[in-house]
Amino acid sequence: MRAIGNGRQSIDLTPCALQPLASQAAEGIGSQVIGGRVVRLDARTKVLGQALYPGDLAVPGMIFGRILRSPHPHARVRRIDLTAARGLPGVAVAVSGDDISGPSTYGLVTPDQPALARTGGAVRYVGDAVAAVAAETPELADEALARIKVDYELLPAVCDMQAALQPGAPLVHEERTDNVLHTARVRHGDLAAGFAAADIVLEGHYTTPFVDHAYLQPEAGLASVGEDGRVTIWVATQWPDEDRRQVAHALGLPVAQIREIVTATGGAFGGREDISVQIVLALLALKSGRPVKIVHSRSESLTATTKRHPFEMHYRTGATRDGRLTAMEISFLANAGAYASTTLAVVNTAVTVATGSYEVPNVNVDATAVYTNSPATAAMRGFGSNQPNFAVEMEMSKLAAALEMEPVELRRRNLYRAGSIMLTGQVLSGGVGAIKALDAAQSLSPWPPFAPRLASSSQAAIGEHGFAPRRAPGPGSGRAGDSKRYGVGTACGCKNVGYNLGLEDASGAVVEAYPDHAVVKIGAVDVGQGSSTIMAQLAASKLELPLAAIELWASDTDLVPDSGSSSASRQTFVTGNAVLRAAAEAARRLAALGPHPPADALPVVAKVVYHAPSTCAMDPLTGRSERANFAYGYGCQIVTVEVDVETGEVRVLGVVAAHDAGQTINLTNVEGQIEGGFVMGQGYSLLEEYVLQGGVPKATTLATFLVPTILDIPERIDSVIVEERDPEGPYGAKGIGEMTMLPTPGAIAAAIHDATGAWIDDLPITPERVLRALGKL
Amino acid sequence: MSEHSICVTVNDQPRVCTVKGTTTLLELLRNDLGLTGTKDGCSEGDCGACTVLLNGQAIKSCLVLAVQADGATLVTVEGLCRPDGSLHPIQQAFVEAGAVQCGYCTPGMLLAAKALLDANPQPDRDAIRAALAGNLCRCTGYMKIIAAVELAAARMREGL
Repeated sequence: MRAIGNGRQSIDLTPCALQPLASQAAEGIGSQVIGGRVVRLDARTKVLGQALYPGDLAVPGMIFGRILRSPHPHARVRRIDLTAARGLPGVAVAVSGDDISGPSTYGLVTPDQPALARTGGAVRYVGDAVAAVAAETPELADEALARIKVDYELLPAVCDMQAALQPGAPLVHEERTDNVLHTARVRHGDLAAGFAAADIVLEGHYTTPFVDHAYLQPEAGLASVGEDGRVTIWVATQWPDEDRRQVAHALGLPVAQIREIVTATGGAFGGREDISVQIVLALLALKSGRPVKIVHSRSESLTATTKRHPFEMHYRTGATRDGRLTAMEISFLANAGAYASTTLAVVNTAVTVATGSYEVPNVNVDATAVYTNSPATAAMRGFGSNQPNFAVEMEMSKLAAALEMEPVELRRRNLYRAGSIMLTGQVLSGGVGAIKALDAAQSLSPWPPFAPRLASSSQAAIGEHGFAPRRAPGPGSGRAGDSKRYGVGTACGCKNVGYNLGLEDASGAVVEAYPDHAVVKIGAVDVGQGSSTIMAQLAASKLELPLAAIELWASDTDLVPDSGSSSASRQTFVTGNAVLRAAAEAARRLAALGPHPPADALPVVAKVVYHAPSTCAMDPLTGRSERANFAYGYGCQIVTVEVDVETGEVRVLGVVAAHDAGQTINLTNVEGQIEGGFVMGQGYSLLEEYVLQGGVPKATTLATFLVPTILDIPERIDSVIVEERDPEGPYGAKGIGEMTMLPTPGAIAAAIHDATGAWIDDLPITPERVLRALGKL
Repeated sequence: MSEHSICVTVNDQPRVCTVKGTTTLLELLRNDLGLTGTKDGCSEGDCGACTVLLNGQAIKSCLVLAVQADGATLVTVEGLCRPDGSLHPIQQAFVEAGAVQCGYCTPGMLLAAKALLDANPQPDRDAIRAALAGNLCRCTGYMKIIAAVELAAARMREGL
């Protein structure tokens, strides 16, 4: 077999002239490569069309796999008849869960999801995997799928969270006594005393939808079995070592029998943290003895994979007349979908940021995650922080309006600062840049921020309305005959960096150093965010080498250490620290060898497993965790919108997005995360909803599950980078990936209120919801 | 299933191919010609990852049957760089401006941008947005893609 994509990413920077946009730092050596604009290592390969994603791989003898999925939200599988599929010429193998000798199940926290259904087992959402085939051509594989006969006994489906909680509700997992997957609670301070001290009490109910990650590259992979019986899986993923453990568990194989090699990965956003094709690929390859490739269609990608959790959130907020928060009483109901995945961790994370980035002395939180017959919900950029942050920011905006206080000032009075006590009891120490981010956003967002551009196109509207925040503009306050209204909204947010709440967070790195070059070996997957470039920069900085002298090996479980998942905004901090320490040690030992090290002493090899500062589990009764997280990033966004009160359409005109990610390692990457995160947040605010009706998905194309296009984005995204260094982070860096979309829904909703007087408490804020809020529907 | 013989010029190379009536141009390029730089993000015209140039026009190759391309001149991402291997100014600008993250939309974006700049060497932002309106990117927020097209346009006008 031709060797393909062996996971060794050879770094070739020399042809890329790092011209006008590249700072001097990018061409420097050692620590000069930190903080400037550095061209990502794989940019050239990608613009040449040479980067190999899993769907691009081909090997001799390869056959094509397909997965049969349940059309029903809930059913018992009485019988799976593969006879006709197996009898079709050109079909190499057809299997169901009955052909798996191991437990067949997988899951990041609890392995409760079958890789394929078994006779007598259940399917629990539309898209649940039932059987799989592999054939000589994709067309034959499709034909074989059509010949599989599955006898389903339809069971009552429970798709609504409230219904799932009712006594006697159909059970998504029949072995359980109810549909509650997880509960979490916080009892912080004295809630009654907090409300007694309040001059004003607000109450709000907020909802958020199912959302798909909608990365551009649908799930795909290739697996083959070697002569030694080992299975190699090439796949786009976030965490190859964990995939490997889950494949081994499901199929009842030793972990060492599975090797996983990460290809170029076309976006992830949390959606590739869970297993997609890996287990079925390995099974088909083992059963057929042939290399097998699976490529999901877009509709299969949208139907089968995990989603962001829908939340129903109830808030009661107390504050004094001068805008000090005194109490919050909060409840969350989170839709876990059909399987556990990471729901437990997502909901616990949501609880830790139930008050957003604000200090509230008296807080009760009660959170419940409930199974429904819907796609499993799991990690997605923000990991449970987005939903509560939207609700909290709505409460803050409403409080500012009720108190007739500037929204920015109200936030400043309550934002976390060093010494603040979080609702988990954690006392924040260093690296709290929340107020700095707020001040930076405000100082760079002179209202009206976009007047010059609008003045040319819509002079009358500007002259008439201006942009200064208005307390009660109300519908109909605009100029006669013009249906456009303009508004400004502010929101903040904070996001933990790394695993939290007692889960150990560690990353391995190996540096093999020579005097003039080095090889860096890590398991961290560059899913598009640019982590490989960051690691090369960090290594170069300690080895006093130019970037071009760093060769990076990433993400082959046979060749590199486990560096954990590319999630939780953690790679720069955790794997970055591992690389930094390994490179420093290698540099020290290299220096000790003198100016002319003997050849047999080379390379100098330094292996490091970096353990991030430990965190504490939550007390189950009080939610207390004196160190819930080891680091946080903070942000503030000030958004300007135009609302057409006749059509309900919202246009985002511009945003100033200030984010504290600690020390910048690569300026271009940080800006890229801010811009991309804001636009994803805009999609979450205004467009995106994975619609299910009775458990049946209605948004299974990119024409129905809408993500922002280039026509939807604002004229300007002004990134403001606040560098409040973390004492433990590499050079003081924290993380940036997730926090960039946290403030966005709250800021956009506040801006819509500023423009129209309407509060809209449900995402996405569609034209229909705007018109309904304005009493026009 | 009927088969058809077609002639296409792909990246300056004449190719004769036998295709089924149902084969899409995207399938022809990726599966038959091995040009996997052209990406498949949805196979139904929604994402633009499969954009190539057909007789100079940016088209979604998943929406064109291979037989419809008979006699056409095609440019894919593999045909963008210069004979000496140096990057096309649009590629170079995407690299420098940080317009590439996961890279899956990149080939389609590059070709949509090329069709624009070939027809309009000095596009304003509205023209750039209109030209790239059919190409989704989930990573970058598009800002650096616009910046890259502007940078490429400026350099191409200067003959760089």
